[in-house]
Amino acid sequence: MKIARFLFRGSLFAYTGLFFAFIYIPLVLIAVYSFNSNPVNMMTWTGFTTEWYAQVLGFKTTISENALYIESTDQLVQAVWNSLIIAGSTTVIATVLGTAVAIALYRFAFFGKRFYRTVMFMPMLMPDIVLGIALLIFFVNSGIKLGLTTIIIGQCTFLISYVFIVVSARLAGMDRTLENASADLGANEWVTFRKVVFPQLLPGIVGGALLAFIISMDDLVITYFIAGVDVTTLPMFIFAMLRRGIKPEINAIAVMMLSFSFVVASLGLYLRSRQK
Amino acid sequence: MASDMSLAGRRRVQLALLLTPVSLFFAVFFLGPLTIMIVTSFLAPGLYGGVEWVFYPHNYGRILGFADPAFEIFDPVYLAIFLRSLKIAAFTVIATLFVCYPAAFCIARLSERWKNFCLFLITLPFFTSLIVRLFIWVLILRQTGIVNEVLLAGGIIDRPLELIYTDGAIVLGMVYIFIPFMFMPVYASVEKLDWTLVRASLDLGAGPIRTFIRIILPLTAPGIAGGAIIVFIPALGNFVVPAVLGGAKVMMLGNLIEQQFLSARNWPFGSALAMMVMCAMLVLLFVYVLASGRRGADVMN
Repeated sequence: MKIARFLFRGSLFAYTGLFFAFIYIPLVLIAVYSFNSNPVNMMTWTGFTTEWYAQVLGFKTTISENALYIESTDQLVQAVWNSLIIAGSTTVIATVLGTAVAIALYRFAFFGKRFYRTVMFMPMLMPDIVLGIALLIFFVNSGIKLGLTTIIIGQCTFLISYVFIVVSARLAGMDRTLENASADLGANEWVTFRKVVFPQLLPGIVGGALLAFIISMDDLVITYFIAGVDVTTLPMFIFAMLRRGIKPEINAIAVMMLSFSFVVASLGLYLRSRQK
Repeated sequence: MASDMSLAGRRRVQLALLLTPVSLFFAVFFLGPLTIMIVTSFLAPGLYGGVEWVFYPHNYGRILGFADPAFEIFDPVYLAIFLRSLKIAAFTVIATLFVCYPAAFCIARLSERWKNFCLFLITLPFFTSLIVRLFIWVLILRQTGIVNEVLLAGGIIDRPLELIYTDGAIVLGMVYIFIPFMFMPVYASVEKLDWTLVRASLDLGAGPIRTFIRIILPLTAPGIAGGAIIVFIPALGNFVVPAVLGGAKVMMLGNLIEQQFLSARNWPFGSALAMMVMCAMLVLLFVYVLASGRRGADVMN
């Protein structure tokens, strides 16, 4: 019986090891092979090189031009810029609006509260593609030109929900007695909000904003439908490259993107764990 | 009395200030577009890509088989694609569950520190680029990919296997990106599991398998159901995974919808297809809420 239990626990651990291997080995593989110098067959190791990174970043390289498809790094830089502009704007808008609703639903009892709650969850449950085409039909019918503005509006519809959920979770865990104490000690509502509620709420707001930023940077489906012909974001750029065929410099771009989001996400999760 | 009134009045102003912007935003840019999409799905496609304002249920007829030949021809291929999408989404849910469920038990019994670290490792990929994570699987699975290279070099096969551009590749890609979606709800219910009940069942003579089926499985069922729903819904309408790992051969609802909007330019038909995805989602949510009764209502809140 004891041996059976030991074997069972052992195999459970082994399984969990495989589980993490499944998640992380692909990420390690791409990081390693992004330094492979083989321009034709990217998974056959022929030597170490940093050429692909140099190529992506726009430095002069010795690679023959036809092996690549970044004709100029300008396209890539433009896509990164677009993504940053969009993510920056959506983060501000979604954070303000999402926080406002979270506070309203937490502090006030009013008719239709349940309805608001349901509506706030809907964009997250809604399949991306449905929201994407609904927005496309709407924008085209209302005569708004597709571009940065439509992407920002479109992404906000679901980013508000994410911020709302993170901030609501923070509010639910807050200590209401502090608020009462502040009121008892003579602070008015505004002072209580600024000095007591807001500082406690801040980690939730920052967490929601970080989440919104990362999801906005990564959104492909909704952006893809409402971007129009002139604007390309980073995920769209990579998606287009994948559809044309794979060339080694995508590896380098991929690894840089992974590193960036790892740093931002680790920072966010670290901040959150410290706040607890 | 007067100060009471002004307090109530002030609160009403505060509430209005907090809620009005979002209400307007959601009414115009969320509920509005959805309504327009629903309406569009009942309109006739115009000759050059627009719509004609007549009631036209034949978009649905074309998919479901009640098409009037005078307007649209029923082509079973659309129904086949719908069923295939349902199948792939269902396989994705089952596979993700098999991957996550045992690991959840293992992680739930670790010490606090290790537990948090493991949860961090599982959530981290969620924050990294989806398209990049899918792209890695192209490199692994394609003809000259790492799996084929290794197998060829090891002499196990003498011709590259067809791994990519198959239904299996799509399910694998979806499992890879949906792991956090399944793991978190499953883990939440596993962690809450009352182990005294398990011990009681074992002490009273039930075998491990019987204990699992009668005690552990029902107690973790809410997590499994929750995970299944939040994996199934995005899997059903997904178009990125089949576009990247399914090639041109494997068509899913998502690709079909994309095609209707961006190349075929038949928006009403595309809207009708999207409505099929929506309906599948609503049916699922309805069943979920019914099955879990009050618990379902709590989860929604």
